[in-house]
Amino acid sequence: MKIRFILNGETKVIDVEADRRVIDVIREDLGLTGTKEACGRGECGSCTILVDGSPKLSCLMLAAQLEGREIITIEGIKKDSDMHPIQEAFIKHGAVQCGFCTPGMVLVSFDLLKRNKKPSRDEIREAISGNLCRCTGYQKIVDAIEAAAKREL
Amino acid sequence: MYQDYLGEVKKLLHGKDYKVVGKNVIRVDAIEKVTGRAKYTTDFIIENALIVRAVRSPYPHALIKKINKKPAFKIPGVVAVIIGDDIPGENQCGYYLDDQPLIATDKVRYIGDIVALVVAKDKESAWAGADAVEVKYEELPAVFDPKEALKGDFKIHNRKSPGDVKVIKGDVEQAFKECDVIVENIYKPGSQDHAYLETEAAIAIPEAQDGILVISTNQGPFRTRNAVARVLGKPQSQVRVITPYIGGGFGGKDTYGPIISSLAAVAAEITRQPAMIVHTRYDSFVYHFKRCPFEIRFKSGATKDGKLKAIEVDYLCDCGGYAAHVIGLLKRAAYHSTGVYEIPNCNVQGIAVYTNNLPVAAFNGFGNPQMLFAVESQMDLLAEKLNIDPVEFRLKNALVPGSRTGTNQLLDHSVGIKELISKVAKKADWVKKRSKQKRWQSETKKRGIGIGCSWHGCGTTGFKHDWAGASVILNPDGSVTYSTGIVEIGQGTITSHAMMVAETLGIPYEWVKVELNDTSRMPDSGETHAQRGAFIGGTAAVDAALKLRKKLNKLASEILKCDEDEITIEDGIAYSLNDASKKISFNDLVREMYQRGISPAEYGFIKARRGYPDPDTGQGDPYAAYTFGCTIAEVEIDIETGEVNVLRLYPGVAAGKILQPDVVRGQINGCAMLGLGYSLTEVVERENGKMVNPSFTDYLIPTIMDKPEIAEFISVEDEYKYSGYGAKGVGEIAFIATPLAVANAVYDAIGVRFYDLPISAEKVYFALKRK
Ligand code: FES
Ligand code: FES
Repeated sequence: MKIRFILNGETKVIDVEADRRVIDVIREDLGLTGTKEACGRGECGSCTILVDGSPKLSCLMLAAQLEGREIITIEGIKKDSDMHPIQEAFIKHGAVQCGFCTPGMVLVSFDLLKRNKKPSRDEIREAISGNLCRCTGYQKIVDAIEAAAKREL
Repeated sequence: MYQDYLGEVKKLLHGKDYKVVGKNVIRVDAIEKVTGRAKYTTDFIIENALIVRAVRSPYPHALIKKINKKPAFKIPGVVAVIIGDDIPGENQCGYYLDDQPLIATDKVRYIGDIVALVVAKDKESAWAGADAVEVKYEELPAVFDPKEALKGDFKIHNRKSPGDVKVIKGDVEQAFKECDVIVENIYKPGSQDHAYLETEAAIAIPEAQDGILVISTNQGPFRTRNAVARVLGKPQSQVRVITPYIGGGFGGKDTYGPIISSLAAVAAEITRQPAMIVHTRYDSFVYHFKRCPFEIRFKSGATKDGKLKAIEVDYLCDCGGYAAHVIGLLKRAAYHSTGVYEIPNCNVQGIAVYTNNLPVAAFNGFGNPQMLFAVESQMDLLAEKLNIDPVEFRLKNALVPGSRTGTNQLLDHSVGIKELISKVAKKADWVKKRSKQKRWQSETKKRGIGIGCSWHGCGTTGFKHDWAGASVILNPDGSVTYSTGIVEIGQGTITSHAMMVAETLGIPYEWVKVELNDTSRMPDSGETHAQRGAFIGGTAAVDAALKLRKKLNKLASEILKCDEDEITIEDGIAYSLNDASKKISFNDLVREMYQRGISPAEYGFIKARRGYPDPDTGQGDPYAAYTFGCTIAEVEIDIETGEVNVLRLYPGVAAGKILQPDVVRGQINGCAMLGLGYSLTEVVERENGKMVNPSFTDYLIPTIMDKPEIAEFISVEDEYKYSGYGAKGVGEIAFIATPLAVANAVYDAIGVRFYDLPISAEKVYFALKRK
């Protein structure tokens, strides 16, 4: 079927099978490989994308659900050519190790800071509680999000 | 042959403070990773790549009577069905021993053993094809308990054990007679899944001159290359392995990388088309090899003045259907079985046993978390019997410079454990918190504090080689191209290499570009495991950079007309220390090298400074140097539910020079959480050797909600002379100490000792009920 949606600010019209997973559409058909698949069943948060501004798991979405939506992936959150302050904070605070969880972590933080300009540490924990990371022990991810909120970069 | 790299570097830098090493820099890979540009294996999307799906045995032990490929070809997209006999080279992929066919031909030895590959145009056809292949098996009696396997009439291979190990020192029998206290117990630390977020994957692409290019999730590009060359029957030069970013390894991809790469390569070679194999999370949980479960009988004795006298240890490693990584981890466990203590009499015997369980992999700690769990539990039990504080007891026996290990290795320097224990204990406020009187507790919650000490030899264990290469090219504009045989699996090693190269050359860190890991650029550099990435690989980097630095110094002295010893290079400027007006920029200096025909490129190559212990006595020097760890844990136990809540961890390491504090802090935090999982929640449930809880819902790795407060780590920088900048490894040590500390803290809280890991809430609950 033909699907029309906005991806990282650009209108896309694609012809795909309606039941193709969104993660495959984004990665394989559209070549944006920043979105990662780690479980394929909604348990890890690695495949997070923003759909009309809210974080959604792209491994659980089907292509038909893209129709008319506005999608933002990790490739789309930067402002112009610069990095987004959250990305800068992740770098500065050493919140990146293997990096496989990072796109998902950055996108849920993006959503959190949009909803809540001054999140407490507990609110930050809550926000990333659906995202698994096997490398960092989470500490620096929380530090980074906190710093981004305070714009202490 | 073994250079005092630390001394040489210090001399070259005229004893000045480091400009880059020891500072926090932006990781080489950070920007790509936060922007989603970093490429992992499956991000290399190859047009028209064929998809490979393995046909796996549903039986743990069976003869393969017949394989019928035909039904698979009824599925339109199927291109090839490959069985063991089709493999062009040798059908063999054993890690240390040649006991594992890549594709089984006569029998299967665990649920999941591969019997055929289906290669198809798309995923659906490959999966359907794999289901369609008909395999006739004749079931054989299977065994899942290593003790039964040893005793009973089972024949998995033509021998029951792939290997054993001994460490024999002093007179254990006599020594136990002289002991005032003796403690003996059986410990059963369990398995664990690596659960890295990126599952295993490989892409193989036919290249020019009959070559094959492999892009894969591996921690050992050269081992992968060699494995692929072997199954394809090609010389190693015909196989090129590119290792992109890896989404976590922890040892698992060391074991499984060569296997999955070989599967893709065989498919690509036979079809002469690009072929790709990707594990789903289910595949990863159920089929990739995991941590080895141990059963350890541990007897230790001490005199009443608190001195350890003797240990007697025998243990079994259940290696599953093939030896895979067991030989190495079996030996490593034996060589560390004294713990961080001086013990004059040892009788340690370990044996690996084949069963029909899933085989075992390398995994952070490599046998040491299992062995040291027993060691550190014994330490607390002895201390209790002796009525000595556990910290004091450890300090009385800790290794110091001049000590000899259980393998009789003389530790002449770089032994910071004693200082480390004291510092960690002080930071954790041990004395006060350990005193029962002042302790906070309620009707339903009990608190406790415990200590665990670990050590881990850096580099591979002394029964195989340990070497690595690196190359540095100075470009005409002064920028630097660096290549290493070490892989970036998230640990941050390539950043530390770039830092050491920059420091050694006297240039800003940003001038060094680290190339993608490619076996065609580098001599065999071994694997990225065993805490050797910075230790051995980094020293090769320093070796290459030092060679160039010496040439640069000489050239600068000629140009500036002064003595070579006067020259220093800092921030990209070479100048005379006696007369700073005599100077030349690094770029000009490099251009001058080109002009004068002096080679601007160098390889570094390093072999670890260690020996090969005697196979009968285990006496010798199995490692070049040891990293030490000490962690103190505070726990709170809910006695109504049995849940163990870790409140705080105080980690510490004596890991030589800390090259990049931020990276090390990250590793220590990550290790602590990996260790918490092993301590408390990560249970690999098995039926007939097959994991039956293969999802993140049922296999519980720590989430942010499980994270305790982790104190800033303590570091004792006990530099090692023969490595670049005196660094030792740090990637595994903090992991190992965590479960030991947690187990001891649990005992302190509720007075119940657990002899197996993990200590699940269920176990605690029932233990308390029994009490
Ligand atoms: S890949 Fe979608 S939640 Fe794990
Ligand atoms: S950095 Fe590796 S999973 Fe988070």
